[in-house]
Amino acid sequence: MSVLLLALYLVVFPGILFLLGFGLFSEWYDRKLTARMQNRMGPPWFQPFADFVKLLSKEDITPQGVPARLYAAIPLFAFAAVATAFLYVPVVGASSPFGFPGDLVLILYLLTLPTVMVFLLGWTSSNVFARIGGVRAVSQLFVYEVPFFLAALGPALALETWAIGDVVAAQRGGLWLVLLEPLGFAVLLIALQAKLERVPFDIPEAETELVAGPLTELTGKKLALWNLSKDMALATGAALVVALFLGGPTLPGVALDGVLGAAVAFAAFFLKVLLVLLLLAILKAALGRLRIDQLVDWGWKVLTPAALIQIGVVLVLKAGGWL
Amino acid sequence: MPEMELPIGPQHPALKEPVNFRVIVDGERIVRLDLDISYNHRGIEKAAETREFSKSLYLIERICGICSHAHATNFAKGIEALMGVEAPRRAQWIRTLVAELERIHSHLLWLGVAAHEIGYNTLFMYTWRDRETVQDILELISGNRVNYGMNAIGGVRRDVTDAMKPRILEGLQRLEARATYYTHVIREEETLLIRTRGVGRLSTDRAVALDAVGPVARGSNVGFDVRRDDPHLAYSEIPFDVITSPACDVFGRVEVRAHELVQSVRMCAHMVENLPPGELMAKVPRAAPAGEYVSRYEAPRGELVHFLRTRGTDKVDRLSVRTPTLTNWPSVVEAIQGHVIADIPVVVAAIDPCLSCTSRMTFVDVDAKRTSSLTWDDLVEYGMRYYAEKEGL
Amino acid sequence: MAVKERPGAILPEIFRSLRRKPATEPYPFQRIEIPEGFRGRIEVSDEKCIGCSKCAIVCPTECIEMVASERDVAHAGRTLKRKRKPTVHLLSCIRCGLCEEACPTDPKAIYLTEKFSGAYTQRDVVVG
Repeated sequence: MSVLLLALYLVVFPGILFLLGFGLFSEWYDRKLTARMQNRMGPPWFQPFADFVKLLSKEDITPQGVPARLYAAIPLFAFAAVATAFLYVPVVGASSPFGFPGDLVLILYLLTLPTVMVFLLGWTSSNVFARIGGVRAVSQLFVYEVPFFLAALGPALALETWAIGDVVAAQRGGLWLVLLEPLGFAVLLIALQAKLERVPFDIPEAETELVAGPLTELTGKKLALWNLSKDMALATGAALVVALFLGGPTLPGVALDGVLGAAVAFAAFFLKVLLVLLLLAILKAALGRLRIDQLVDWGWKVLTPAALIQIGVVLVLKAGGWL
Repeated sequence: MPEMELPIGPQHPALKEPVNFRVIVDGERIVRLDLDISYNHRGIEKAAETREFSKSLYLIERICGICSHAHATNFAKGIEALMGVEAPRRAQWIRTLVAELERIHSHLLWLGVAAHEIGYNTLFMYTWRDRETVQDILELISGNRVNYGMNAIGGVRRDVTDAMKPRILEGLQRLEARATYYTHVIREEETLLIRTRGVGRLSTDRAVALDAVGPVARGSNVGFDVRRDDPHLAYSEIPFDVITSPACDVFGRVEVRAHELVQSVRMCAHMVENLPPGELMAKVPRAAPAGEYVSRYEAPRGELVHFLRTRGTDKVDRLSVRTPTLTNWPSVVEAIQGHVIADIPVVVAAIDPCLSCTSRMTFVDVDAKRTSSLTWDDLVEYGMRYYAEKEGL
Repeated sequence: MAVKERPGAILPEIFRSLRRKPATEPYPFQRIEIPEGFRGRIEVSDEKCIGCSKCAIVCPTECIEMVASERDVAHAGRTLKRKRKPTVHLLSCIRCGLCEEACPTDPKAIYLTEKFSGAYTQRDVVVG
């Protein structure tokens, strides 16, 4: 790709500007769906943007005893990590122009960084709620990270490749991996919900127990940036699930070129992301919050074994030559 | 991590009203819990001594928003007993109708708040949507959604007309279907069950020893309900069951309230259909003769007791309000032992705390930077010293 | 009572809610239905008030102040010279309606209306 096109890709579409819009849209869509499931109206489409602008105008307080520059940098790190991860997710073509063999592993590692940032936030805020929330975030990280990696490993194992581009290209014919690995799909969705710290796994930030957990002392611009990173993580996570299990930006039986092809591919991608967001919203609306010890219990007794079983099935299928 | 003090309150998203739990935690486990309930003290008992009955009735009504009718009715029937006046039968039935509607309102509100405390916002939204139905009924009858102003000394001020009845019955029908649905959901939804079962255990003996009242006691299998044991208003004429649960934990209290919801809806339908004809107000004298009276009432949270003393004037000489929430706090302190931080909002919400009802004074020593309350023995000693010095007793 | 636990017991209701219209009433873009007898703002009728001060006496919050206002008012077949008229400190008023009950005129000179909206920012109105 020419330098200009690459720059356009990076900055506008599907680069940072698109990601900002996509993140805000994901938050709106999630909130609207949740509201309709709860039989209420839900916010108008510009609400996440309005919240962002409002937060920018609020007073930015750093409490005493908190290292100010480090504290202000943490939301930036989270933002950068998520934005970089999104670069490798295919949005208009079978693979992103930055894709390379092994970019799946890179995305998974980049998506772990926000949780480490949550812990840092909690630890550096001189606030007892934040500290407890930060520790809970790390405990939760140990529980869901293994199933998340294993479930993402499934497609890579089935297709013997570490490049997301190859995974998407292999599903072009219509055999989406969700049909082959439904258990892996379910595990990935649940582990994604835990990674994004949404109900039933919003334990670090449990509003009724810990005020706002690690985010308690975030205010003003820092909080605005953090919320934006969270929205972007939701969008990136959903896009990753779509790429791995639902065939990414491809429509079975359609192989057009040029601008029309890109538009059709993007439309397919968008609809699939809407489906994944719907599933995540249903998970959020239908359940109550777990306790951290209950999550650890259930995670190690149910979630990780399920992921392992899925890997086992894939290995057996490969060994038997059916795959 | 070493032991830390976690300040739950006085401002905290888990609390609807200010209360201070100073929780000492070791990691996630609770080591000790100190309670400070003085934040909503408004001096209402003293203020009632300077107002005539007709005015202090409205003051008493505003002790609490959700149990406003309970306070007002309890006070009104206490004054009527002291005056030797009996409110007419239709007035008693209307008072009972509003009381049961208030119970429905309170329990639906509580179900939503309890669901919110465990992060289950969908149930919160559904129960509060259904609460709008009972609010509309109350608005139709009394003109207001809380603080109904239905009572006057001697009877009620507004009537339940025949024109209102079809709308009330329609709303009650809808409520019965929803209340039955909630009794099923609480038994089936797994995340709710795992957060409430085995949490906040309070055995039957401890519940009796700590004087728990209301759904807290009934959830620990103590069959104590003032409506049946000391019938007042129209309760002796209306059929109902006293709901108890053998679970002895937070789930037991959830169960009791959900089933009481269904009971109250049926009682209200019965009352609307069988409302006796008659007067709304009895004639009352201006002043009450000297005397003392203890007025009891089953508020949505438990047994409410008003102690009234009059001196032959048109004002109370002493009013003492003992609310159910005040009695239930010791059971919280006991039930939370050995639990983790995540259980605090659950156990506290399970007693349905109404801090506006509860607040008592606390002593603040500014120089020593200490706050303290008086224990019973301190209070007795203080009282004896006071009367010895001031009145030479 | 058998307990049949499963996660997501509320899912059927969720799907039903997705199909239904939301329960939100988008006030102020939609009119709210007000039942008869609703306790709204207190208003005073200048033509009917005879200035007897009964309302100010019975008010539990003592929010009714009698101010000077002279007028000839017809009441019970006679014409009275009124000296004073009540003003209500609206934000201290608890809408109990005792003033309306105590008022001797017919129709009542002080009465509850059905108006419920009214947020004020002027201090002298708010701090009655």
